[in-house]
Formats: sequence, C-alpha cells, structure tokens
Amino acid sequence: MPVLAVSWTYIAENFFSEIVLRGVWMTLQLSVIGMALGIALGTLFALARVAHAPPIRALALAYIWFFRGTPLLVQVVFWYFALPQAWPSWAPWDGQLSPVQTGILALAINEGAYMTEIVRAGIQSVDPGQLEAARSLGMTYRLAMRRIILPQALRVIIPPTGNEFIAMLKNSSLVSLISVSELFLVAKLQYSSTLRYFEWLIIASGWYLILTTLGSLFQSWLEYRYGAASYGPSARRRWLAFGARD
Amino acid sequence: MLPEPPAPLLRLENVHKRFGRHEVLRGISLDVHEREVVAILGPSGSGKSTLLRCINHLERIDAGRILFEGQPVGYRERNGRLVEAPEREIARIRSRIGMVFQRFNLFPHLTALGNVMEAPVHVLGLPREEARQRAVAVLERVGLGARLDAYPAQLSGGQQQRVAIARALAMQPRLMLFDEATSALDPELVGEVLAVMRDLAAAGMTMVAVTHEMAFAAEAASRIIFIDEGIIQEEAPPDTFFANPGTERARQFLRRVTRP
Repeated sequence: MPVLAVSWTYIAENFFSEIVLRGVWMTLQLSVIGMALGIALGTLFALARVAHAPPIRALALAYIWFFRGTPLLVQVVFWYFALPQAWPSWAPWDGQLSPVQTGILALAINEGAYMTEIVRAGIQSVDPGQLEAARSLGMTYRLAMRRIILPQALRVIIPPTGNEFIAMLKNSSLVSLISVSELFLVAKLQYSSTLRYFEWLIIASGWYLILTTLGSLFQSWLEYRYGAASYGPSARRRWLAFGARD
Repeated sequence: MLPEPPAPLLRLENVHKRFGRHEVLRGISLDVHEREVVAILGPSGSGKSTLLRCINHLERIDAGRILFEGQPVGYRERNGRLVEAPEREIARIRSRIGMVFQRFNLFPHLTALGNVMEAPVHVLGLPREEARQRAVAVLERVGLGARLDAYPAQLSGGQQQRVAIARALAMQPRLMLFDEATSALDPELVGEVLAVMRDLAAAGMTMVAVTHEMAFAAEAASRIIFIDEGIIQEEAPPDTFFANPGTERARQFLRRVTRP
C-alpha cells in the first residue's frame, strides 16, 4: 500500500467541498429529526411509564428493555435488511421507506428508549405536592402534566437531553451501513478511493466537532432559558458562564 | 314545628380510611353548613390531615360517604354500589373546593400572578384579561398586590402561603380546606397568614381547618372537632371545648399544647 504524505492543503481544499457539505447536512438532518422524534417517543413512553395501569407501564418497560438492550448498529441493520425478510410488505427498498427514512426511524426509536428514562426521571423529580395542588384546583391529570409537571421537569430533562443529542450526532454515522450518505460515509468513500485516510478522517472529525460544539452551545442556551434563570432573577445565571455561578 | 334546617354544604357519613393494615379513619361523621368555620384539632398522627384530604378526594375512602353540595365526592352509586367517578367529575367538584397545603405547593415556574391565574384560565376557561383582574383582586385581598410578578422563590414563607390562599380563592370556592396552613412557617410569619384566614372567616367563607393554632381555633372557629385515633372524640363550640373539655383525651391534649 502506497503511503501518501499527509497534506494539510488537501484537507483545506476539501473541507468545504460540496460533497462534504452534503454529508454534513445529511448528518444534521438525521440527528435533528431523529432527536425530535426520539423526544416525542420518550415523552409518550415516559407518561406510560408513570401511568397507573400496569399493562401500560409494562409496555413502556418492554420498549426500554429491548431498544436500550440491543446495539444501535444491530437495530439499524435490522430495520433495513432483516425486517423486510420477515415481513416483505414492509420492504424499504420497494419505495415505502428510503434508507434515509429507515435511518431516521432506527435512530428515533433507539433514542426514544433513552429519552423515556430521562423524561421519567424529570417527571419524578417534581414534588408530588405539585400534582396535588394542581388537582385540588380542579385540573385533570392531563392538564396538570402539561401545565404544571412537564414544564418543571424540563429543568431535569434538558441537560441529559443535550448529552443525548451530542451522542446522536455521532451515532448517526452508523446509518452509513445502510448506504445513507452522511458525513462518515462520504469520508469513507473518499478515503477508499484516494487512500487519504488521515485527511478524510480529519475532515470528518472536524465537522463532527463543529456540530457537537454548536450542539453544546444550544444546550447551554436551553438550560439558561428553561433552567433556574426562568424561576426568577434571584437565581439568574449568565448564558455561556459554563455552569459557573456569578 | 321548626322549619327543616338547610342541607349541609358538606356531609361526611361514617368515613373509613386505611393505609395498608392501619385504619387511619374509623368512622367519621360530620356536617358542615355554609358560613361555618370548623377547626379540627388532635394529636399528630390522629388522622386529621387524612380526613381533610379525603374531602376533596386526594385520598380515596374505603367505606362511608362524603357529600358536597349533596353530591357524592369521588364516587357514583350504581345499583347500590359505589364506583369511582370519572376524573372530570371529580375535577369539577375539586374546582369548587379550595385547598391550602402545609408546604404551600406553589408552582415555582410561575409568578404569583401566574399561580393565581392558572386555574381560572385553564380550568374555568376564563378569558385571560378577566382572570388577570380576578387574580389581582384576590392578591390585593391577601396583601400582595405589590408582588404580582415575584416568583415563589423570591417570597417569604408567609407571602407564599398567602399566594396559595389567593390561588384557591381565585376559583371562588364554596368551601376552603386548610391543612396545617401555618405549621411550616417561621413563628414571626404565622400571624400574617392567620390574619388572612380570620378575614376570610369573618367574610363568611365556609372553612374546615386542621390547625395547631389554638388561639385561631378559639377566636375564629364556630365549632371544634377533636379527633384522636381516627374517630371524633369530641365536638363542641370553642368556648366549651377550651374551658371545659368533655373528654379526658381532650383534657390531656389541651394540657400538652398549652403547656408554657
């Protein structure tokens, strides 16, 4: 195998090339849509997880058990290749679900299992007296959840959710296995043909770092917006204080 | 013949409540008429708070009946048997019964005004402007007209409890329940909350108050209910109860709480 001298100019020339930007855009789409659906699923199953009816709780537990207990990599491949074998009418390649859609589905359903536990912990962190006070005012369980419990649970939910989003940005590279041209697959195709492993992995890593940095900033803004600061000026913190109190 | 007395606003018939194997309420019967102020006294662990929480169905009862405005609370009778009422029906009854908690339970993510407006807007469906006017009026009534935009964390315990009273009043309840409303307060803050409760009593609000404030019970209550070991041991006007309690248990209790 010929060894090519590492070229920083090559990296600079390709860093903003169209093919790379397309990969970045795909990674971003996979992560943002996957995360949004994952949060929705997680909220739904978290409500099931704290419900009174045992069968509903059991359903949520089974969901978490399965999707958190098997590798995401296996799930991605399973959704795309195995499920259509067992259930032909599902068949993504028959135009029902594209690789991108299957990828988003796999990421979202996996993420939902983690988000379920995060949202549940958030709901359970709220003083039970809050639900009692809401009910004593004539609120139904649903209304109390929506207006009183979930808004307070956000404080506890947001920090680990930011973590999850950052993990998602990187985990989305696993859908390269079902031929979704996201950032990693772009880099992989390029280093396979040019043998410039170093350059292409630096390009990919650079972009992942940019995305995760933006994700962290977004998280700290969210924490600022919905965290302690929103409970009154006495607890106000400066955004970008990196968690330090002023 | 005397005319039939008016139906009680609240009626408890032989109410039983158990937690596991421990029977906390062992047959409580009680009528509360409109404009009455009933103070419930008793040693801790006697079932006072549980009784209060059963009235608005925060706790289920195991036997007996609770009627508010003549309607069973939390249950419906079907073929002579009691079944749990639908949630909306329970919520509707609760919206007419105010409750004030020992630990305030204000909504920390909302301002004082937001706390008070929340239920009128989202439960009663009042337009925001009308709810706002109503909320400002009740907050002024409890002396907090200047702290509308303060969050609970910025208020003292006494102020928080007054917001909690305002929050309940904004629903224009026919009955107010107070569950040891001053027990979590620093001694110097008790007075401001009791003053609000006295004003309410004087204004004719029907109240059931579990309390450890003997002075409040003596002055503001129209009737004292003394509970111990899950049953009503004694029921008397405050003058009689404090001057001349009819049971040995009540005498012991009063000796303990009034010891200097």
